[in-house]
Amino acid sequence: MEKQLEKILRRVQKPGRYSGGEWNMVRKDWHSMCVKMAFAFPDVYEVGMSHLGLQILYGMVNDREDALLERVFAPWPDMEEQLRKTGLPLTSLESRRPLRDFDIIGFTLQYELSFTNILNMLDLAGIPLRSADRKGGNYPLVVAGGPCSFNPEPMADFIDVFVIGEGEDALNDLLDAYLASRRSSEGWEDLLLRLAGFDGIYVPVLYRVEYNDDRTIKALTSGSEGVPALVHKRVVTDMDAAFFPTRMVVPAIETVHDRAMLEVQRGCTRGCRFCQAGVIYRPVREKEPETLLRHAGELLGSTGWGEISLTSLSTSDYSRVSSLISELIKRHGPAGVNVSLPSLRVDAFSVDLAKEVQKVRRSSLTFAPEAGTQRLRDVINKGVTEDNLMDAVGAAFSAGWQSIKLYFMIGLPTETDDDIRGIANLARRVLDKGRMLVRVKGRLKVTVSVSSFVPKSHTAFQWEPQNSMAELKRKQLLLRDLLRSRGLVFKWHDTRSSFLEAVLSRGDRRLAGAIEAAWRNGARFDGWSEFFDLGKWLKAFESTGIDPEGYAYRRYQYDDVLPWDHIGAGVSKKYLVREHRRSLEGAITPDCRGGQCPGCGLCATLEVKPYLAGGETVVPIPDTIQ
Amino acid sequence: MFRYRIQYSKRGSACYISHLDLIRALERAFRRAGLPIAFSEGFNPHPRFSFAAPLPVGVEGLAEVLEVEMKEPVDHQVLAERLNGALPPGLVVLEVADVPDNAPSPMAVLTGAGYIVHLDEDDLPGPLPAEAVRHFLSQEKIQVTRKGKDDKEKVRDIRPGILKLNVLSQVNGLTIQLDLKTGSTMNVRPEEAVDAFFRYTGMSIDKADLQIIRSGLF
Ligand code: SF4
Repeated sequence: MEKQLEKILRRVQKPGRYSGGEWNMVRKDWHSMCVKMAFAFPDVYEVGMSHLGLQILYGMVNDREDALLERVFAPWPDMEEQLRKTGLPLTSLESRRPLRDFDIIGFTLQYELSFTNILNMLDLAGIPLRSADRKGGNYPLVVAGGPCSFNPEPMADFIDVFVIGEGEDALNDLLDAYLASRRSSEGWEDLLLRLAGFDGIYVPVLYRVEYNDDRTIKALTSGSEGVPALVHKRVVTDMDAAFFPTRMVVPAIETVHDRAMLEVQRGCTRGCRFCQAGVIYRPVREKEPETLLRHAGELLGSTGWGEISLTSLSTSDYSRVSSLISELIKRHGPAGVNVSLPSLRVDAFSVDLAKEVQKVRRSSLTFAPEAGTQRLRDVINKGVTEDNLMDAVGAAFSAGWQSIKLYFMIGLPTETDDDIRGIANLARRVLDKGRMLVRVKGRLKVTVSVSSFVPKSHTAFQWEPQNSMAELKRKQLLLRDLLRSRGLVFKWHDTRSSFLEAVLSRGDRRLAGAIEAAWRNGARFDGWSEFFDLGKWLKAFESTGIDPEGYAYRRYQYDDVLPWDHIGAGVSKKYLVREHRRSLEGAITPDCRGGQCPGCGLCATLEVKPYLAGGETVVPIPDTIQ
Repeated sequence: MFRYRIQYSKRGSACYISHLDLIRALERAFRRAGLPIAFSEGFNPHPRFSFAAPLPVGVEGLAEVLEVEMKEPVDHQVLAERLNGALPPGLVVLEVADVPDNAPSPMAVLTGAGYIVHLDEDDLPGPLPAEAVRHFLSQEKIQVTRKGKDDKEKVRDIRPGILKLNVLSQVNGLTIQLDLKTGSTMNVRPEEAVDAFFRYTGMSIDKADLQIIRSGLF
């Protein structure tokens, strides 16, 4: 098989995606490992290898003496063609073993538009797609985790076990339970029951769904004893003690983020009402600067990367960010190591940080005001004002940047055409500011990048409908006309893929057939505009009797049972309801980082506290909202 | 600056690293090895590497050539050992030598490359006719078409670029040894030459079936 694989590799565009052999790759003795797990990333190598979660779990499992974790990525269509032509199964990178030979296959669900790739990978591995067809136990246990498992329902028929929440907290439990079950020679059902007893583990087959006539859900219940009605997410309580991979695998071919990643904190407390990540990674937990500096030193030494990026949902919020950056530059700058910040807040402080780390002033800086008017920014609780933005771009232009990117969302709840015009006005004001401050006017550029609002589970906007595709298109065209001008560049997202994203992220179990049909129609890499084809999906919805608009455009009532109500993100529904009401009033809710707890309910439920390395831990109050 | 000539091999999974990725991989290996590599000036400093000839993806190299500049002198043995401890699997330093300051770049002095090309039994279209090699090489012109950068097909005569072609072995398929001109004046690719050879004998092969090893540069 090895030889056949080599032959295939000569026939594909980028064989380095499948060849393995990277620095720091771990290859363990197959036969002496008690449990063998494949980490399956349902996107191409260059995307998957840029993902910190993969590196964390890879290092963590391979640190165990009884387990191995090997990687596999979605084959690019040219590779898929070769595999299908030759009948070779999908294999892991490390030992080039067929996926079927593993005990556990763990998929990460980073975005809904990778769902069809999961089916494709199972199929290429010769593994039945549906959990029901695997229950004999002759196949690997198929596990999935990651953000999309906070609404696991659309994939519930394909996945045996979902991990809800942070993997480094749950995965060792899962492996141990698997081993214990094996040792006592339990059958498939017993294994699943055993797993379901753990916090953060959701076994969909153990839950029953009943529907109302209007296609909403009547009830979702766990049938058996020991199977919790509400599955709480897993949360790492001590980030400094948590496993951090300082021997990351260094990709052999260029990837999207080809640099060392240092996670400075987890969670974001700003409370933007559309943001799912802000909910599912709560509470904020900062790492101590000493831990970070030690990890950075080890990481750079073991990988040889010439750049280290400080990652998190909002790195400039990290309470000791300035001193951390100067210390990193002091220690590693002389060896030619750059520090970079991937996410910036809209304020002048962030520009100062960017100034500190970016030697090359020519690249552009991105700011995300998200909405064009203050009214709408208050609705979404963005917590920035036009003055903040003007200060920030002013600082950026003065510091030598000539190109600014502004990131907005359209189709937000309560949006009117005035808000759309607000985007254009804001962009023009930024451009005018640039004209005042930038010397080489020819290079001055303001890019307005617009995506479409997708209502996500566990957010204050989960009840809200998405704008129709036609409406989103109309708003895009309106904006395009308003933005026609020298120095302004307009970029927008395909409304069709946003529509599909909404269907899948608000979906329930009944979508399984449609997802499978779409895959059979040839849907692959739906997140890639070059492959995305809504036609294949519409055909799939039609043939399986699914009304996709019902999912994307439905306005849920507060007392409706939502498809993801049995998944506990920690934040209480009462709080989300209150946040939704406040949003319609345009009332803003302060960040709990400041010490004022608006009572999202998480700290009490999960017994974790926000942790700030600066020491100003907020005191959570119990959830008292009625 | 201190210039060193490094002879290395690139085999196994490393043969799938493209030339651009190889530069990145080497830079990281030098960092891991803690070797005082010199960087270019400017906004985007890059390491001072200079190669004899980029190796195509999928081709193994047994004796490739790279020249590096260091900020400080390094003992040859130390350089080889430290680098070998930091290179990804498949990349191995074989030899290190000094290069005088005024020496031309390795690219400039390169004239040819040796290859070993193997075709599996299953992929072999048929037995070679007797004297096939001699007859093939006795041609005055060997014309091949190659797509240019503008996507237009261009006909070229590669006969002057084929310095040597002989059959090494016919066990388990066919193994051919080739010496071809490489460099700025004339550049012949091994798969081009082998393909032309098979066409001459009236047979056709799939170039992707060829297992190619670059055995050396001269
Ligand atoms: S309970 Fe209060 S302090 Fe804790 S995460 Fe929620 S809002 Fe913040």
